[in-house]
Amino acid sequence: MTRNTRILMSIIYWAFVVYLFVPLVLMILMGFKDSKFIGFPIKSWTLDWYVGVFRDTEVISVFIYSTTIAIASTAISLTVGTWISVLLAGRSFFGRTVILGLTILPAVIPGIISAISFRIFARLLGVETGMFAIIWAHAVHNVPFVALVVMARLATLPASHTEAAMDLGADRFVSFFRITLPYLKPALIGAGVFCMLLSFDDFVRSFFLGGYEPTLPVLIFSKLRSGMSPEINAIATVVLIMTAVLGIWAERSMRRMGKGT
Amino acid sequence: MPTIEDPIVHIDGISKSFGRTVALQKLDMKIDPGEFVTFLGPSGCGKSTTLRILGGFAQPDSGRIVLGGEDVTRLPPNKRKVNMVFQDYALFPHMTVTRNVTFGLELKRMTRDRIAARVDELLSFLELDAFRDRFPDQLSGGQRQRVALARALAPDPDLLLLDEPLGALDARLRAQVQLELKDIQRRTGKTFFFVTHDQDEALTMSDRIVVMNQGRVEQDGTPEDLYLRPKSRFVAEFIGETNLLSGPVRHAEDDRVAIDWFGMQIEGRAFDRTPRPGDVVTAALRLEKVGFYDARPETGNAVPGRVVNRVFKGSRTAVDVRVGDAGAAILKAYVDRDVPDDVWLGWESANLAVLQD
Repeated sequence: MTRNTRILMSIIYWAFVVYLFVPLVLMILMGFKDSKFIGFPIKSWTLDWYVGVFRDTEVISVFIYSTTIAIASTAISLTVGTWISVLLAGRSFFGRTVILGLTILPAVIPGIISAISFRIFARLLGVETGMFAIIWAHAVHNVPFVALVVMARLATLPASHTEAAMDLGADRFVSFFRITLPYLKPALIGAGVFCMLLSFDDFVRSFFLGGYEPTLPVLIFSKLRSGMSPEINAIATVVLIMTAVLGIWAERSMRRMGKGT
Repeated sequence: MPTIEDPIVHIDGISKSFGRTVALQKLDMKIDPGEFVTFLGPSGCGKSTTLRILGGFAQPDSGRIVLGGEDVTRLPPNKRKVNMVFQDYALFPHMTVTRNVTFGLELKRMTRDRIAARVDELLSFLELDAFRDRFPDQLSGGQRQRVALARALAPDPDLLLLDEPLGALDARLRAQVQLELKDIQRRTGKTFFFVTHDQDEALTMSDRIVVMNQGRVEQDGTPEDLYLRPKSRFVAEFIGETNLLSGPVRHAEDDRVAIDWFGMQIEGRAFDRTPRPGDVVTAALRLEKVGFYDARPETGNAVPGRVVNRVFKGSRTAVDVRVGDAGAAILKAYVDRDVPDDVWLGWESANLAVLQD
């Protein structure tokens, strides 16, 4: 690579970084503006919006509601996704390709279509809209991501490890919980955090399947309809920091645990 | 209690095929308690299949495995008193050395105190005390191999299977580990079933070597038997370096066989079945059994020859000597001194083993 192309490519890269981060920086800045209107110039600064957010019982309870949904749906996705991966791993049997395809399908169906079909299906079954329905939809949507990550990790587990466990007296059950599952831990942490973020962030499914209580994205949406206010920026900034911390932690712990195995 | 006469393992006519490939053909074998048996052969000869069948990881198509008087053919690995040292050691990466060794003991429902005592005993026996709390990725190859051995010995198996466990070690370490392994086997009195394709390993450690080829036993005997009295061309060529001499039989009496080899009369021994005059046979002669003389020697066999090639190998020189009518044949030999071009070669009849094929 010549010197000039390297300079050109660096410029393009940094332009992309600016493009990516400027909106985020603007959003964060506006949350500190001492005025009801969003836009420059910022004449005076305040923390009032943040104080407001942490005092707003509605925001707090919606945050807890969304977190509960994220944790519950992630737990289901991890269980089902791991189950499917273990079933499909390293074996070929009639219908394997079909099962694999069906497993991946929820990830590629457009959100709006899956949301509508969930809504129809829920009504057909007599399931009320609300927390249970949202957890269900999120869990189904997230299973493919778990299955893909866990299958990739499982493929690197040498067959001799589980054979050694059996050789030393373990049955399949003990071998799974004491050898396979610990080996999958980095993959499960990574997939789990990813699922939680997907669930926390989801709007379409939560909107269609939600009852009277909104999830956080739905709440922000409804607040937006009454006009943009720096309060929304403050909420968004808090969410941004929390998800970034969670994501970075997951990435680092995956790398630490993936090492040497 | 099995007595010393009872075999600890009886492999009773097992066969195994993978699709069209025949891995084992009616293998029969008895292994005595405390024996160090090595299955030796090239890849695909059936040695690993036998090991996996003994471990319970594969099922024979026919035949039985009897272990300590009990038919275990259909028992899964966790129900057999057999443990294995895997080729890649298969140490559990998320467990310390101690936890790895403890694993099999916990599943035996032993008391905590007895487990701790057993682990201490094994770790000090295998000189692993200093590494108790290390994880497998913090150990060297030799240390990992010892941990794998400690883990497999911990549940006190009737039979220990070793699947080429030295393959991952470098050459110098391997030589040291071979002696250690033999010593451990002697001190524990355990029956070791070792699988390898490395003849050096087999010769160094084994009480008994079983040479396998294409799913069949080629020869079963002590290291000396196999080296000095190979039965087949395959065994002669697989173990050590050898000259193969072919020719028609002139006379045969008891085990003494006179062969016409490019006009030279040579005499060898048939250790198994004596051929008839007129049969064309092949005989094996180890390179280092050929002696160099200035004049016709008094040895059982003597032929004149001319050195045509010398390759210096440090402590000795590999030499090619043309012998026979018009120099039609070449004998390879080792010599540890300078020899003139024109020499006499001599060897005892007992060192020329007439092969069965």
